[in-house]
Amino acid sequence: MGRGQAPPPRLIIMANRRGLRNPRALRETGEAYLYLLPAFFIMSLFTFYPFINALLMSFQDVRVVARVDGQLVPFHRTFVGLANFQVLFNDRHFIQALTQTSIYVVVSVPLTLVLALLLATALNQGLRLRPFYRLAFFIPYITPVVALAMVWTWIYHDRVGLLNYLLGLVGISRIRWLNDPSFAIPAITVFNVLRFVGYQALILLAGMQNIDRTYYEAARVDGASPVRAWQHITVPLLTPQLFFVFLISLMGAYRIFDEVYILFAGGAGPLGSARTLVFYLVDQAFNNFRFGRAAAASVVLFGIIFVLALFQITVTQRKVHYDQ
Amino acid sequence: MAGLEVVQQSRVRPYGAYRLRRGLLRACLYVVLTVGALFMLLPFFWMISTSFKTLADAMRIPPMWIPSPFVPGNYTAAWHAAPFARYFFNSFFISSMTMVGEVITCVFAGYAFAKMKFFGKHVLFMLVLATFMIPGHMLLVPSYVLIRGLGWYDTYWALIMPWVTSAFGIFLMRQFFRTLPDELWDAARMDGCPRLRYVLQIAIPMVRPGIATVALLQFINSWNSFLWVLIMTDSPLMRTIPVGLRFFQQEAGTQYPMLMAASTMAIVPVIILFFFAQKHFVRGFARTGVK
Repeated sequence: MGRGQAPPPRLIIMANRRGLRNPRALRETGEAYLYLLPAFFIMSLFTFYPFINALLMSFQDVRVVARVDGQLVPFHRTFVGLANFQVLFNDRHFIQALTQTSIYVVVSVPLTLVLALLLATALNQGLRLRPFYRLAFFIPYITPVVALAMVWTWIYHDRVGLLNYLLGLVGISRIRWLNDPSFAIPAITVFNVLRFVGYQALILLAGMQNIDRTYYEAARVDGASPVRAWQHITVPLLTPQLFFVFLISLMGAYRIFDEVYILFAGGAGPLGSARTLVFYLVDQAFNNFRFGRAAAASVVLFGIIFVLALFQITVTQRKVHYDQ
Repeated sequence: MAGLEVVQQSRVRPYGAYRLRRGLLRACLYVVLTVGALFMLLPFFWMISTSFKTLADAMRIPPMWIPSPFVPGNYTAAWHAAPFARYFFNSFFISSMTMVGEVITCVFAGYAFAKMKFFGKHVLFMLVLATFMIPGHMLLVPSYVLIRGLGWYDTYWALIMPWVTSAFGIFLMRQFFRTLPDELWDAARMDGCPRLRYVLQIAIPMVRPGIATVALLQFINSWNSFLWVLIMTDSPLMRTIPVGLRFFQQEAGTQYPMLMAASTMAIVPVIILFFFAQKHFVRGFARTGVK
């Protein structure tokens, strides 16, 4: 930057107007690009390039030459049109993965959100033990998911698991959580509802605390009960956060993998009842070396996320003001 | 005046009954929340409790809550059954390196997006935000090909380099830099301070809380990362804690006390970090939702 000379205001205005032709604006652009360079270099190499490559691969037959001195080298890519997608949608395992993931999403996302909303409401009552509650409900979220899932394989144990013991106390007979096909998705749901409820409540709580207190005072003056105030003030004014959390968790839930992999010890669960989209993708790619088909599955996953994200963007731009 | 009277009346009138009901409601709330919180902590208690039991005691029904005899030997047994020291080193090393890289790249990119005027700013920022839509799992297969091509398979490079920047970090740093007044830079510029020096010596210290948040989130992300490490590495020497834990699960089978000891070891560093930096965490997470 120039030494010591403060630009007269007129010059700044001109810089704005003329953009690149002005040497000062040009210089700032150059400097900004330098600042952006490291981040964009990494992003181009490890996000944009693989992204385009994934799209390409989904239309290609990727032959993997196995074992060149023990190494697997991807080799020989030929375009095959929509063949990968055709195979994909005729593969009952893929259909199973897609349906099961969707069922999991549809059950767990609203359930978590409702519980989080109730929890946030409770935490917003100015209770004494709030730091303790916050910690207790938040800890599962930051815990390494692999370790936590490991603990739950033990809690879900058929015979000596803690959960079955506790359920036994209230008269519910033993559930084979991880070995009964109809309980695989419920087991994952319970695990993740408990894992995410505190995190979501925290976001909602922050939103609640931003609501102007005068609304509540006005409601009380008008004789509204706290429940009605919650109904007609808290929830409507919390819509941006509720919507944000809803879509973020929707998108996250479609990507579920780690916890399933640990809970079912690297398998797809009994009768494939824990097979999810990402599990299918990883299984196809790295156990069967069908890179093209895996890429096609990943494009389907992307399609789902993309539609959800577009939906979020259109709605938030209309209703929510993100910038400060 | 008349209006005010009404206001006061409606506030005062139901006080006795109202107060009692409110008190009862509060008590219920405490009970429900406490039971809920204890239920959330139960898996952790159960993990620690099991990790100090003998195998026979762990299998007991009804469950034994407090282990007796108390067996700390599970920890040493687990520690020696797998190269956990190496796993810990790898996790610490990789998490620290990605954290440092992330802070550097995101601070500069965030500053540029927050405070500089340049050609193509809007498009580039949209490009950054667009990556939020790309599920990381979609990049696994092509990334594997890329990492193979770079000759980085089963090396630290593969575990560090792709993670030294993130759209979320850039976005968060931009939000923090935006809170700085423009007059600050104007004043510095008038005194002849080059921008780089201004950023390093004035702007960065002022957004220290933001940097702490970005750094912590990245550290935790790297520490917890599982699938990437599972796919990009092969030898036991490159495993991180989560992947090491997964292989230990295969080896230890039903040795639950040992498994729980290993899980406890994996969780403890994160919990400690969380305790000391709770407010940064909360700020970072809450900020994703608000504004």
